[in-house]
Amino acid sequence: MKTPTVRVLYIDDEENNLQAFKASFRRQYEIYTAISAAEGLKILQSVNVQVIIADQKMPNTTGVEFFKSITETFPDPMRILLTGYTDIEALADAINHGDIYRYITKPWNDLELHNSIKNAYDAYKAKIDLRNKIAELEKTNDELNRFIYSISHELRAPLVSVIGIVGLVKMEGLYNSSGEYWSLIETCSNKLDYYIQKTLQYYKNNKTVADKSPVDFNKLISELIEVYSYTDKDTRFTINIDQEVEFKGDLFRIEVILGNLISNAIKYQKVTELNKKVNIDVEVSKEFAQISISDNGMGILNEHLEKIFTQFFKSKVHHGSGLGLFIVKEALNKIEGRISVSSDVDHGTTFKITIPNAK
Amino acid sequence: MQSDIKKVMLIDDNEIDLKINSKLISLSNLFQEIIICQSGEEALDYLSRHMNDDDKLPNFILLDIQMPEMDGFEFLEEYKKFSTTLTDKCPVAMLSSTLDFGDTQRAEANPYVIKLLKKPLSPKELAKLL
Repeated sequence: MKTPTVRVLYIDDEENNLQAFKASFRRQYEIYTAISAAEGLKILQSVNVQVIIADQKMPNTTGVEFFKSITETFPDPMRILLTGYTDIEALADAINHGDIYRYITKPWNDLELHNSIKNAYDAYKAKIDLRNKIAELEKTNDELNRFIYSISHELRAPLVSVIGIVGLVKMEGLYNSSGEYWSLIETCSNKLDYYIQKTLQYYKNNKTVADKSPVDFNKLISELIEVYSYTDKDTRFTINIDQEVEFKGDLFRIEVILGNLISNAIKYQKVTELNKKVNIDVEVSKEFAQISISDNGMGILNEHLEKIFTQFFKSKVHHGSGLGLFIVKEALNKIEGRISVSSDVDHGTTFKITIPNAK
Repeated sequence: MQSDIKKVMLIDDNEIDLKINSKLISLSNLFQEIIICQSGEEALDYLSRHMNDDDKLPNFILLDIQMPEMDGFEFLEEYKKFSTTLTDKCPVAMLSSTLDFGDTQRAEANPYVIKLLKKPLSPKELAKLL
């Protein structure tokens, strides 16, 4: 395979050095030379150079000054500094501000300089390759997210039609007309819908950048309760919201977090409990919103408490998807919130979350 | 004077959903007449044809969001160009299976939309709006 052309720019105020450099390296590299920093810059502007070698001691602009001046405009080429004497201060400056790859003393040794150029080029290539790979991965990831999102939409539309038909069957009094078949269809459809909804939430949480919009907890929580208590009217809610200051945060994620917790509180009740209760307390300050959601439901076994936030963890007895709390945790991670849980099988479960006020 | 017969216009590209929703509406007696349109264009065409015929105009519109060519929001852009004698007495509710937060917010922000209903249509929720 033909080795790629490596373009090297050498800047030095001594014409002899430029000539000697050319003579030694022109067979291996495409060499550009400049007698001053200003000349060097002109070349950089028109040629895509991968390695720059500059002499430190030049009138007007020193090598380090030159490297510093191009950190923003030409960040990619690798830099090698040449100096005739050991100037610790210049060296420190070069490392700290000039983004120098190598430091070589004059007079140079051909082999050493050759190796340095070769290594510098390899490092340059690795840097560019990595950048391209990242761009490629970001693109693939983005496509995957969009794919899953649109698939979920397409899958959900006909499913919702099925659920609508089951509703019609109920209205027409046919629900019990075929044994338990209709109720089985209903259970399966609802389950599938739940999975699709959770999948969407998960991918949206991954994809969306955090936004800052005003959050009115009173409004949000009463809306969520309305949505999730739709199928279960027995639960009594006690809501206590203390929001005197404005709260700004990621409305979508906060809705996902509270929605999952409230729906869990309703879903995991004790079947025998006559007095089903859910308490929601919200306290908003300039720094955080602290929210506590507790129920007198079936509680979580001590040995399960550690695992409830992991993906696809389900307890044997209860038919969860293993996604709800995992999504809660993922969403909280994105907005730098925290969650803690305490539970026992006699008294129920309390989740406490803290979300920073982004104001 | 406007006739007492309540008419709803359903705009949806999905034939099955049109069938389900018109059945639901007639079973729950929320409207006496249902005008079925399979696209936003068809609905606009109907409305402009019957602009001066109160007996033919709907009192309520149920509008799907995701439709080919003209989606629900594009329909609304055209709808608001109609005279206020129609738009004032014919509110629009969007009806969609969308879970998209952006869609929800856009629907809520649109002054012509009184509510975003989620599919499957619940007669109870629809009754609440009327």
